[in-house]
Amino acid sequence: MLILSLILNGIVLGLVYAAVALGFSLVLGVSGVINFSHGITFTFGAYFFWVLYKVIGYVPAMILSPILVACIGYLVERLIIRRVYGQDPLFGLLITLGFAIAMEELIRMIFGPAAHNVDPPSFASGIIIFGDFVYSQYRLFIAAVALAMIAATWLITERSNFGAVVKAGMFDHEMVGALGHNLFRLRIYVMVLGSFAAGLAGILAAPIWSVKSGMGNAILMPSFLIVLMGGLGSITGTLIGGLLVGLCISLGTLVAPRYVDIMPFLLMGVIVYFWPRGLMGQQNIIE
Amino acid sequence: MAKLSKIHKDPFFWIFIVFACYPLLPYVGNFVSLGTELILWFIFTLSFNLCLGQTGLPSFGQGAFYGLGSYAAAITFLRVFGSESFILPLISGIVVGALFGAALGWMIREKRGTYFAMLTVVFTQVCFGVCWRWDAVTGGEAGLSGIRRASFLGLDMSDLYTYYYFCFAVFMLCAVLIRIIARSCFGMSLQAVRQNAVRAQYLGYNAGLYKFAVFTLSSAFAGLAGAMYCLLTQSAFADILDWSKSGDVVMATLLGGGTVSFYGPIVGTLIFVLCKELLSSLWDHWAFAYGLSFVVILSLFPNGLMGMLQKRVRGGSLATALPNGAQEANGQERTAGAADLKSPQRSHSA
Repeated sequence: MLILSLILNGIVLGLVYAAVALGFSLVLGVSGVINFSHGITFTFGAYFFWVLYKVIGYVPAMILSPILVACIGYLVERLIIRRVYGQDPLFGLLITLGFAIAMEELIRMIFGPAAHNVDPPSFASGIIIFGDFVYSQYRLFIAAVALAMIAATWLITERSNFGAVVKAGMFDHEMVGALGHNLFRLRIYVMVLGSFAAGLAGILAAPIWSVKSGMGNAILMPSFLIVLMGGLGSITGTLIGGLLVGLCISLGTLVAPRYVDIMPFLLMGVIVYFWPRGLMGQQNIIE
Repeated sequence: MAKLSKIHKDPFFWIFIVFACYPLLPYVGNFVSLGTELILWFIFTLSFNLCLGQTGLPSFGQGAFYGLGSYAAAITFLRVFGSESFILPLISGIVVGALFGAALGWMIREKRGTYFAMLTVVFTQVCFGVCWRWDAVTGGEAGLSGIRRASFLGLDMSDLYTYYYFCFAVFMLCAVLIRIIARSCFGMSLQAVRQNAVRAQYLGYNAGLYKFAVFTLSSAFAGLAGAMYCLLTQSAFADILDWSKSGDVVMATLLGGGTVSFYGPIVGTLIFVLCKELLSSLWDHWAFAYGLSFVVILSLFPNGLMGMLQKRVRGGSLATALPNGAQEANGQERTAGAADLKSPQRSHSA
């Protein structure tokens, strides 16, 4: 029973990681920027939600907060990331890292360093009982929403013209520009989409992890690992990578609880050794 | 450098003179440990610039080697050779830095650009995780303490001033050494690798091997700086392996203009470290301004202070620092795909 609930926990965690990593991976692919501010959009989602949900109710807050986060993503792209396109990768990394540090401190300035609790919504706060197995309804709700997000992203990238352009942009963005697609607009769309997804994931995670200013950092490293493991720009790869990281962390607590945050890295090392581009990776612009 | 009569034109001469008199300087002179830290930072950023400015390797893992060097020194002092040794911790810092640098450098020597940067970030995080958790060896979250500076060659290193001058001497040695490396045939080949790795490869230079070599070399210096830092603070903590350290060293290098000038890192470090110290002592929420400064500096001065200076004083003595380096890179043709991602700097003279 313990194993089963750990596996389920791992899958839920993995789905949340995958949902966050999608945006990171798309931005990395289309813009070539290692977006360290992706973690802070996750934090923003949770904080907006924490401020809003008592005022306007659970579902409206859950819709409104990701939209606000997407607006922030838009501003970040327009005002910050745009300045470093085509420069050394460290520029993009540092400029977004600086922004993330500043925003984290801003959140701490406004809301204080303490962690805040969010209650799960009334429609998903109970438990589910199968025989003698008990599981939290809210975690299943998270899994469902995260899966829906991943499916939606899959539909967008694999089954639409926009997605075709995005994927082409990962392969060769200059050629995409030369073919008459507005690369700058494409990058904005991708950034907004990624921020929206990360914001929503932040909301989902708010009741199970408490809302605190450093929560974005905890989600950023899994995104790195997922992109390296699953391959850049592949939705399936991101999903597999997310599940691997989630299961690795969750089952790792059985083996060596203290080293649990290092285990996904070892797994990544093994995978990248055998599949240098990740499990589903293809040739792309970041190599 | 060769002729004594021209020594006043050598930036190192003036830097050395200023730091030889550091304890006499008004105000800052009272903080000798700050001065020592500055000098260690100089070694760190100068050697890092061999990677970034000279070879165009976007490494974000340099803080890891600094931290590992620091731990190596602490562990050597406390556990391996017993205490009362001054030089052995430093040597082990160099060795450990170089070993880890070589291991990582060998694994990622063929990677480029963004992928290279990501792998170095991940490496740093692994090192941080291990040092943070491995209680038996690294002391975990509590870190290691109880390190003392034993006497060396009859000098009492526990005195801050003596230790400052020891670090200063090491700095002079390293700085001159790094400059010799940068200006040697090896250094020129590194520039060739930066400007166009494919072409360098066609000319018979094994680009991967050069990247590996410079990465190892630079991490050895970082390990030395870390070991000396460990002796300065007489402790070793996992904090310095965090992203922020790697971010700081890149930021200091870029602020000074490491991509356009050999001396850029020193200028950048001086300003960056002093501002950070000042700011963090003045304002509780200093991290806000600190983070925003990254954004401002990188978007307004992508070539750093030296880049701005060079624009003003073209052909001045400062501009000759990286002979035919920075200028030529601008002429590099943009081949298909992501050529602009690989080029280490944006043209400032175009």
